[in-house]
Amino acid sequence: MSASTHGHGTVLKHHFDNLEQQHSAERLGMWFFLVTEVLFFSGMFVAYTVYRNWYPGEFAFASSHLIWWIAAINTGLLITSSLTMTLAIRSAQLGDKAGLIRRLLLTFALGGGFMGFKALEYTTDYHERFVPGEVFRTEYARPLAELTADDARRKYEGRPVLTAQEVKDYQFKGGQEHWSQDLATRNYGKTPGAEGTVSPERVQLFLMFYYIMTGIHGVHIIVGLGCILWLVCEAWRGAIPREAYSKVEVISLYWHLVDMIWLFLMPLLYLIGTRGGH
Amino acid sequence: MAHDPHHNPGDPPTLHDVDTVSSVVTVYAVVLALAVANILLASADLKAMALPVQLGIASVQACLVAWYWMHMRRGDTAVTLSAFTTLFFMFIFFVLVLADVLTRWRAAI
Amino acid sequence: MSIVIGDTPRTAPPPPEPETPRRSYLNETSGFWSWALTVDHKRIGILYLVSITFFFLVGGIAAGLVRANLLTPNGAILTEDQYNKAFTAHGVVMLFLFLIPSIPAVFGNFLVPLMIGAKDLAFPKLNLASWYVYMIGAAFMVWGLLSGGIDTGWTLYPPYSSRFSHSSVAPGVFGVFITGFSSIMTGLNIMVTVHKMRAPGMTWGRLPLFIWAMYATSFIQLLGTPVVAITLLLLLVERLAGVGIFDPSIGGDPVLYQHLFWFYSHPAVYIMIVPGMGVVSEVLTCFSRKNIFGYKAVAWSSVGIAVVGFLVWAHHMFVAGISYYSALLFSFLTMLVAVPSAIKVFNWVATLYRGSITFQAPMMFTLAFLVLFTVGGVTGMFLATMGTDIHLHDTYFVVAHFHFVMVGGMVLAYLAGIHFWWPKMTGRMYSDFWSKTSATVIFVGFFFTFVPQFVLGYHGMPRRYPNYPEEFQVYNVLSTAGASILGVGYLMPAVYLTLSLFFGPKASANPWSATGLEWQVPSPPTVFNFEYLPITVCGPYEYAIGVDQMGRGLPEPPGAGDDNPAAKVGPTGPIGARPKETEVVG
Repeated sequence: MSASTHGHGTVLKHHFDNLEQQHSAERLGMWFFLVTEVLFFSGMFVAYTVYRNWYPGEFAFASSHLIWWIAAINTGLLITSSLTMTLAIRSAQLGDKAGLIRRLLLTFALGGGFMGFKALEYTTDYHERFVPGEVFRTEYARPLAELTADDARRKYEGRPVLTAQEVKDYQFKGGQEHWSQDLATRNYGKTPGAEGTVSPERVQLFLMFYYIMTGIHGVHIIVGLGCILWLVCEAWRGAIPREAYSKVEVISLYWHLVDMIWLFLMPLLYLIGTRGGH
Repeated sequence: MAHDPHHNPGDPPTLHDVDTVSSVVTVYAVVLALAVANILLASADLKAMALPVQLGIASVQACLVAWYWMHMRRGDTAVTLSAFTTLFFMFIFFVLVLADVLTRWRAAI
Repeated sequence: MSIVIGDTPRTAPPPPEPETPRRSYLNETSGFWSWALTVDHKRIGILYLVSITFFFLVGGIAAGLVRANLLTPNGAILTEDQYNKAFTAHGVVMLFLFLIPSIPAVFGNFLVPLMIGAKDLAFPKLNLASWYVYMIGAAFMVWGLLSGGIDTGWTLYPPYSSRFSHSSVAPGVFGVFITGFSSIMTGLNIMVTVHKMRAPGMTWGRLPLFIWAMYATSFIQLLGTPVVAITLLLLLVERLAGVGIFDPSIGGDPVLYQHLFWFYSHPAVYIMIVPGMGVVSEVLTCFSRKNIFGYKAVAWSSVGIAVVGFLVWAHHMFVAGISYYSALLFSFLTMLVAVPSAIKVFNWVATLYRGSITFQAPMMFTLAFLVLFTVGGVTGMFLATMGTDIHLHDTYFVVAHFHFVMVGGMVLAYLAGIHFWWPKMTGRMYSDFWSKTSATVIFVGFFFTFVPQFVLGYHGMPRRYPNYPEEFQVYNVLSTAGASILGVGYLMPAVYLTLSLFFGPKASANPWSATGLEWQVPSPPTVFNFEYLPITVCGPYEYAIGVDQMGRGLPEPPGAGDDNPAAKVGPTGPIGARPKETEVVG
């Protein structure tokens, strides 16, 4: 990477003939890298498509219990960060160092905000025990146990067992999470796999997709934030004169792709089925 | 790449390579509006149309971002080719996997 | 310059031998750090050469263990568990640490800038990073091997690999995941370089076919490798977290893993073979002193293989539980992919026709490639046909098929490339006698190793089994004997090539009298490749007219001075009027 502020003689690398060739190569290189990123995420999107096709009910159920308003805020943050990033290229092209740094820092802040809300989201999900595996199974067992105990008591007292409508309207008292109460009321009294049940195992399958896809996307955001910070440092020490604007453009291409992936991810994870609220 | 006779390859970017603020912000407004629409439409009971609508909105957003913000409209052939090639192979991936998955015999679950 | 085409091949005089400078890329700077932190594409090519040779040895030892164990019907030297680990190690190391990087990382890195007239690849630091990423991935794989090995087979199918195997799956899988990034970086670098850094006059239609092959390979690397990356990541998550998307107990589908895995792993075999095909085009034209027959067909067939190769992956899954209808579809698509490969073979054979062929080592390896690759490819048709595949799947027929194309094809092409470009890379020439001998030994050893395996597979011996019925023993012993000969054959170049570094005669810039731009610079080249900007004026194989790509004459071809009156040749071929195909491309 070029290290000096003096003229385009040091911006031009020795193996290129001219700046246009260099910028063109750098842009194309980043585009090719974006191709690999898209194919990387495609694997997960294909797998998601298969399972959503097989288990639409479970996917809709699980999706309805994700925190959609955080996803909505994050979508706004990310789109805005893409705006500021694009404007940052303009600043670099015009040689406006202060504007460049300002816009890069704005982008960083918005992207950081995204990660902040994501952290909030993940911790909330964890506190709600909406995590696949043993945690999920234990939490799901709690409302089931309460329902079973209540039903058994009714039988013992000679009252009729819970009807389907009563199960639907049941008021839980044990402090279980909303999703597990919802799942228990849908499944109680029915044989597993019957009409109207929601398989808890397949809900966990959806959750694997949720955590892995948003997690990998989050890693890409973090890497992007690192690159933006690097750009801020480079701009600060004057290593982004007008001729070197393509450094900013190259990172912005990556940032836009991460944004685009989120634009597809968000409806596929959070907006399955008609939204009734969390 | 446009071959402007007055534009030497070694020069810094000329003004026609620089995005105007208004073009960037207009795209922003449209993309953001589409995102809001996408979220609001989730409350409408679209049933089977919901997924195509959501993916359609996301695709329009992606096209706008790619064409304007990622400068695809500048017209480097290699860039355009790589974008369409990616889409083509993604399409192949989806179609051929689904060709198996959707045509398997399955007992009632 | 003037190019005269007439009855008697008489052209511009050969260019004066470029003065061999005292400083080449090898000795311009010295010391550990000048190599460890080099950004010179040629040095990086040499770094890769050393690494992959080492891992070829490791994979070869694993192969030796497998073949030795198969000497007796019940396992001669290994327990069943150890046997699983041996064949897995052989597969994983040979594929990911040797075959996939081999030609792209060694010759691609070294030659692409030279062949197109550039000073370096587009991203020299990325190039160096790719080698370090490769070594880090290799280190994880070695950790996996040393901590007990993996016993799942190189295909790592869940749920065994994710849930039930007690072997070192995690470090091994993580290692493969990391080396994938090295592959992507190399491919990306080469593609951008070919797009943006060709010297004046080097149009797409004048590119050497090796460059077309490298471009097609890089295309596959870019599109396919990320998919195996995500697949392996998902496998790792499932193994480490205990729950994952391929887990049937939560509704997952192990066959989905196979789809994701083979979506890369089938194109991966084209990553392995297409560079070899590029080498073949270079060597064949040079040693038959003839232009390639059908340049456009060969160039486009490289691209064709790259594209169609992505459409066929489920032929590895015909008996895995995919739907009957999709199996039919994939069977049909698989037959299509044979077409571009066949086009190449026909064009190569047509190139040989009426050429003046000499049989130096590169040519011997290349001719062996033609034969063995064709056999391997044709046996692929048995496997593409769904009906016969049901009988042959997971038998030694498959093993023989892919070893024919990968060893008989790819490894031989790699050796051809080593022998062809050795003088350019090192500035030394090796022993003509020993190189020809090793080519012969390798061919004979190969034949005895893998032909019996076709018979075994046809008669139903399953692959990956440590034991077999008594009546198969004779074929297994024959195969192991062949493998020993093959091993000797591989060791020979290691010896004479190393010796050539110290005792071999110094090589001229263009010892084979070839036409490419890489032969116009000294052997070995200087750090910045070209002292002047090379301007290309014609296609890459103008042997008949006797000009190199810059329009200058060629030196005397090898074998021109042989004391054989029947082979009287002039500077560029047999003397006397001979109508020949000439095609000045571009």
